[in-house]
Amino acid sequence: MTHDPHQQAQELIACRSDGLTGPQQTWLQAHLASCEGCREYATAAEDLVRALRSVPITADRSLVRATQLRARVRAQELQQQQTRYRLIAISCVLVTLSTALTTPVLWQGFAWLGAQVRLPDLVWQAGFITFWTAPALAVAVLFAARGTHLEDRVRAPFHHERGA
Amino acid sequence: MNATACYFVNWMEPENTAIARGLRRQDPDLLDRLIEQYQHRLLRYLIYLTGNRATAEDLFQETWLRVLERGRQYDGKHNFSTWLFTIARNLVIDLSRRRKLESLDSQAKDDETPLEIPDQSQPSAIDVVAHRELSERIMTSLAGIPADYRETMVLRFHEGLTLEEIAAVTRAPVGTVKSRLYRGMNALMPYLKGVRG
Repeated sequence: MTHDPHQQAQELIACRSDGLTGPQQTWLQAHLASCEGCREYATAAEDLVRALRSVPITADRSLVRATQLRARVRAQELQQQQTRYRLIAISCVLVTLSTALTTPVLWQGFAWLGAQVRLPDLVWQAGFITFWTAPALAVAVLFAARGTHLEDRVRAPFHHERGA
Repeated sequence: MNATACYFVNWMEPENTAIARGLRRQDPDLLDRLIEQYQHRLLRYLIYLTGNRATAEDLFQETWLRVLERGRQYDGKHNFSTWLFTIARNLVIDLSRRRKLESLDSQAKDDETPLEIPDQSQPSAIDVVAHRELSERIMTSLAGIPADYRETMVLRFHEGLTLEEIAAVTRAPVGTVKSRLYRGMNALMPYLKGVRG
C-alpha cells in the first residue's frame, strides 16, 4: 500500500465497499470529507461504474435455444456413452471370470482331442492358442475397422442465426 | 463477515449444492435453467474478453458443453458463477493458444474490431441513438485498456463478483485484483469523463 494518502484513497475507492475493512472505510470517509480531489475521483468512479453497467449486452433467444439443444443432445450422448462403458466393464469382468474358469478345462479338452487324433503336442497346443485368442483378435479387427468404416459420420452441428 | 454476508452465503450454499448434484447427474433440465439464468452475464463476459460477438457466441456454447462434461468437478462449495466464468476464461485462453496468440490482448487486436455494440430495441429513436453512442464510447474505451484490467473491471462492476471470486476466476492474488481495478479505473477515466450511464 502506498504512503500517498490520495493514492491510497483512490485505490480504496476503486475496490468499492466489499473489499474494505471497517477501519479502511472509516479512514476513507474521513479523507473524503477533507479532500475535494478525492471526492471528485469518487464521483467520477461512480459515474464510470454506472456507465459500464449501462451497456446493454444480451444473449439472443436463438443462441440460448441452440445452446440448450446442443447441451441436451450432448447430455444424451454422454449418458449413452456411460451405459456403453458400463456394459463393456461388465463384459470384461464376465469374460475374465469365464476365462479363468474355462481355460484349464479347455486345455484338458484339447489335450484329450490331440491324444485321440494322435497329434503332436505342438499342433494341438497351437490349435488351443489360436482358439483361445480368436475372440480377442476378432474384437481387435472390429476396433480397427471402427476408425475407418464403422465411424459415426452423421453429426449435424447446431447453429443459431446470428443477430436473429 | 457481517450478518448480511453470512445470510447470503448460507442461502447460496444449498442452491450451489443442488447445482452440483444436478451437474453430477448431467441433468439436462438443470442445464436449461442455468443457461437461461446466466445467459446474459456469460455472454457479456465473453464479449468483453474476446472483443468479438461472434467468437463470444461460439465460446458461449462451448462453455455450456464444458459445464456439462466437467460438471462432476464442481463441488458446490463455491459460487457457481465463479466456476462458470473460470471455465469460460479457460476456453478463451485455449482459443488464444490455438490461434497462436500470446495474450488475450493480442487476440482482441487480431480480430481488428473493437468490442461490438449489440443491437438493442429501445423505446424511442433518440434514446436508441443516444444509448448506442454511449455504448459505443464505453466499448471503445474498454477495448483500449489492457485485457487484464478490462476483465477485472467487468467481473467486478458488471457481474458483481467479490474480490476473492475474481481472484479465483483469474487465478491472481487479491492484491493484484485490487491493483488491476485501480489501474483499470484510472485508464478508463480519461475516456469516460463526464459520462453518466
